[in-house]
Amino acid sequence: MPHGPKLLTALGLAPISIYYALLFVGSIGIFLAYSFYRFEDFDFVPAFQLGNYGDVLGSELYQTLILRTLLLALAVSVVVVTVSYTFVYLINFVFARHRALLYFLVLVSLFSGYLVRIYAWRTLLGAQGVVNEALLTIGLIDRPLRFLLNGWFAVGVALVNFMIPLAVLPLHAAMANVSPKTLEAARDLGAGPVTIFRQVLLPLTRGGIVVAFAFVFIASAADVVTPTLLGGVQAQMVGTAVQAQFGTTFDWPFGAALSFTLMAVVLAVVATFGWTMKAATR
Amino acid sequence: MPRHLGAKLFVAALLVFLFAPVVIVVMFSFNSSAELHLAGLSTRWYQDVFADPEAMQALKHSAIAAAATAVGALALGMSAALALMRVPQRLRPIALGLSALPIAVPGLMIAFGLAVLYRQLNFEQSLGLTISGHVLIALPFVLLTMSSALDRFSFSMLEAGRDLGASAPRLYWSIVLPILRPAIEGAALLAMAVSLDEFLIAFFTAGADTTLPMLIWARVVRGVDPSLNALAALLLIATTALALLAARRTRPRW
Repeated sequence: MPHGPKLLTALGLAPISIYYALLFVGSIGIFLAYSFYRFEDFDFVPAFQLGNYGDVLGSELYQTLILRTLLLALAVSVVVVTVSYTFVYLINFVFARHRALLYFLVLVSLFSGYLVRIYAWRTLLGAQGVVNEALLTIGLIDRPLRFLLNGWFAVGVALVNFMIPLAVLPLHAAMANVSPKTLEAARDLGAGPVTIFRQVLLPLTRGGIVVAFAFVFIASAADVVTPTLLGGVQAQMVGTAVQAQFGTTFDWPFGAALSFTLMAVVLAVVATFGWTMKAATR
Repeated sequence: MPRHLGAKLFVAALLVFLFAPVVIVVMFSFNSSAELHLAGLSTRWYQDVFADPEAMQALKHSAIAAAATAVGALALGMSAALALMRVPQRLRPIALGLSALPIAVPGLMIAFGLAVLYRQLNFEQSLGLTISGHVLIALPFVLLTMSSALDRFSFSMLEAGRDLGASAPRLYWSIVLPILRPAIEGAALLAMAVSLDEFLIAFFTAGADTTLPMLIWARVVRGVDPSLNALAALLLIATTALALLAARRTRPRW
């Protein structure tokens, strides 16, 4: 049956293709077009000019904002990929009997409330929050730690928290390439943990690492909700600035240019990471 | 020292960290005090939520969006998945990869992109526009679920049916659909979970048709509101339950 009438196949694929073309390609296309528009008297004037990009790249404020966003996303990605990799390794080769359950537990949290999880950190990290109260009770501190909420710490912790399942997914798929027998053989041949990681694990799971890094880096760099709810005045990211352009300032063309600048830089970082990994594991 | 003590501690710590926010929200939603310390057990915040017309309205909008998203994503996703069965095997991963793009592109791009598109088309903001966006981000999940079920599909059943003289519609109705039913149900539940949980697209397209995440957002931004935890817990329980049911339906081999 795989080669049935071509017409039927085309008919089946047509609705989804049209839908993607209109809503996905169409919306991102027009969003891109807006980034070249002019913003005059609170109206958007169709044009093709690079002024908005010039404003983004020429402003020290936005340069700093983009740089900070990238650094935070990078830190989050490194932590998330390292932690998730360790977890995936452990459930595959140390706790293999409970692999299904442990993997499932992590995946469920992928669907358990994006907004709610972020906002919960306010209860956890606030001045009268759960963490501070606990630390006060056991006497580790004598007054609440203020830096926990409304800053880079809270944004980083919340991002790491909901990005872990996103990294576990591709890493777990990649770890299926590694057979316990291969690891055993390497060990029998006298390879230490570092050699096994560099010579066996890394080359076999490279693809998964790159995908996990890409997922986490892109999603954290473009997040809007986390910095708005947990960042306070200090820890603001590009996403917050874009939202401000759409909400309060109403300069959509500038917001669009800011979004596409961020995307370009982010994709460049992801590509660089991919190449570096490829070169390192050749 | 017990075996793998370090490894066990690591896994335990990771799970505690992952579920801490979820547990905290549910715990405080049953807290009798409005303060941030646990006093006693109470359902007063849930009573508040169910007596709150704004919350009920948001719940209704979210339920409509979830149901409509499931229907829309299933209609588009199933027709595509069934057609993909006819596509040569080596081309299928490419088609699936392309269809997964809406989840690889950040929500920010999709939400603002749709906001711009609908403004350009002069559409008034409404729940319908939000649903159209939710269908877009639910489709990859529907397609992935359906196609993994189709991969396990045995075509000899169809051959047998055809040899016995069944027509094409009859083949679909009596063989393909019953076999795929668990996957279809799983895909529908996932689509509902995706829609219920989505915030950014709704925020920029729904206008006055406030959904549950939008209401939670508005109240978080406004300030402390003890019934917020109950509202959040309801959303949390709904999405988690849907995801769990979906997992049971599709029985992935993990």
